[in-house]
Amino acid sequence: MKEFFNKLPEQAVRVIVVFLVLAVGLFVIRQFIIPPEMKEPALQKLSSMEREADKEVKYAGAQVCGQCHEKEHDIKKTGYHRDLSCESCHGAAQKHADNPTDVKPTSPKKRDYCGYCHTYNSSRPTGFPQINPDTHNPRKPCITCHNPHNPKPPQTPRSCAACHAQIERTKAASYHALLGCTVCHNTPEKHKTAPRTIRPTKPDTREFCGKCHDKASPGKGVPAVDMNAHGEKYVCWQCHYPHMLGGI
Amino acid sequence: MEAVQNFMELSQQVVGFIYPNEIEIHWSILIVVYPYITGLVAGAFILASLVKVFNVKELQPTYRLALLTALAFLLIAPLPLQLHLGRPERSYEMFMTPNLTSAMAMFGFVYLWYLMLVLLLEIWFEYRRDMIVWSGEATGLKKWTLKVLSLFSTDISEKAVAFDKKTVKVITVIGIPSAFLLHGYVGFIFGSIKANPWWSSVMMPVVFLFSAIVSGIAIVMLLYMIIMPLRGGKIDMKCLDKVASFLFYAVIVDFSIEVLDFIHRLYESEESIKILSQLVSTKLFMSLVVLQILLGMLLPLGIMVVIKVFKLQEELRKLLYFVCAVLIQMGIFSTRWNVVIGGQLFSKSFRGLTTYKMELMGIEGFLVALALLIIPFVVLSVLIKLLPPWKKEELAGH
Repeated sequence: MKEFFNKLPEQAVRVIVVFLVLAVGLFVIRQFIIPPEMKEPALQKLSSMEREADKEVKYAGAQVCGQCHEKEHDIKKTGYHRDLSCESCHGAAQKHADNPTDVKPTSPKKRDYCGYCHTYNSSRPTGFPQINPDTHNPRKPCITCHNPHNPKPPQTPRSCAACHAQIERTKAASYHALLGCTVCHNTPEKHKTAPRTIRPTKPDTREFCGKCHDKASPGKGVPAVDMNAHGEKYVCWQCHYPHMLGGI
Repeated sequence: MEAVQNFMELSQQVVGFIYPNEIEIHWSILIVVYPYITGLVAGAFILASLVKVFNVKELQPTYRLALLTALAFLLIAPLPLQLHLGRPERSYEMFMTPNLTSAMAMFGFVYLWYLMLVLLLEIWFEYRRDMIVWSGEATGLKKWTLKVLSLFSTDISEKAVAFDKKTVKVITVIGIPSAFLLHGYVGFIFGSIKANPWWSSVMMPVVFLFSAIVSGIAIVMLLYMIIMPLRGGKIDMKCLDKVASFLFYAVIVDFSIEVLDFIHRLYESEESIKILSQLVSTKLFMSLVVLQILLGMLLPLGIMVVIKVFKLQEELRKLLYFVCAVLIQMGIFSTRWNVVIGGQLFSKSFRGLTTYKMELMGIEGFLVALALLIIPFVVLSVLIKLLPPWKKEELAGH
């Protein structure tokens, strides 16, 4: 071994010494200076679990609420808000559960809170109840008409625009403005009360649009095409948006 | 408040449908600078290895310059990442507590390996004899700096120098796969992001690697043409022609691979192809079609073909090489831009595009990026001052 080192040129020994010092330094730092929980993933997990478990519990959970507020709990169970937790609206209530008389949870009474979910937004799912807060009974708190534990429309909506305001407004400026919604959509009466289970229809044949837009149809001043040659196998609304201005 | 205003401005630029967290992109210009710099490192090293491993004698004048260039850029390479992530004082923890399942975390070790065991060692053995000689000639601070750098080594016997040469060759042989690893790895990080169709491709490491070789050769060529006359030497045309022809082949290979990737994507025609073609034809048109492909690749290729076909005069050749190298640098920077920024401009819903608005000041801004691109040249000038790549007789000899 000693002979091997003697054979090495002096510059190689110098480099090896530098690398050895670095390696030993790294080893010492890792072995003796870095605390063990930083090196061991299992320990990291354990300590973070302890840290999380030490945090104060803020939410009581819907079951605990239901133990005292039976009436509200039962109404909510069957209503549209059944998947919402009580504390989504009333705020964290563990303190109230611990001390029901002195600590009272809040309840949102103004209009803006309901708007977080129910203001019109085109990215919400079809049939989700949405309103335009500027035109839908402005300034009136929502809870004057809707019971938040079992929210139902207080009266059956009179027009399609009550829910489909955006489409209604777009259509009003399009060539189809004078056509009623039900000319194209067959809408069962029950759609108004159960909008997500009973759906209206959409025109599913080319002939439907052809009634006005076929060359052979009697309408005057209506853009007409040869239905046999135009658009191949596609249904018209796959390319033309019927509610839009100009119907492009 | 400023953030809200920024967000509102961006949201007006959005085309189609996009998820809310995709409007503002998160990997900014700093992440563009980072692969650009590491690419230069890998490329410059490959050029240096041509001299030692493949015995391309004509390239000897660029050998040391290429090594120093690689070192200067490698030293600055982690800086953009550290500025982007923040808390640079914690970066050593990556080495102390290795995370074997994270490609990004393991990259620290690839970097360390390349810096310590390849580049520094090779430069040390290459310069050791000269450092000892120079420290004998110099005085004051420079003398001691050189002494410390040479680790107080004194042996300049023929046997010792022969050992140095042999070691340099061995290190270069190890260095080539290491350089491939260094930049292939950067491509790997992008290529392995499977949720992003613009990035997720096995071709990514290869494309990165060859574009790295192109940019590295071009930057050394550029530096050689600028620094040599500045130090009073004359440009060796044989060497320059040889560098240019390696550059020419590298660009051809790089271009073919990128075209292959492109055709493969088109033919595969996955569901993302529509949004990607929209991306290329609108938001990336300038940086991809015009800057990267037309100006950064086809034009330099054309110029180099002209140089090869018509035997042009020396001065004109120099000028054209210079133009080529500058165009290629711009083209490769656009390549990095198109990968990093392009990959974040389209929605994962494949239905919309957003826009990147670069800050001017700010830590992720244009000025910081510009500074990061300038610092390596400052480092290089210090290195060249301390360890001149050409000896006096070489400068005078031409």
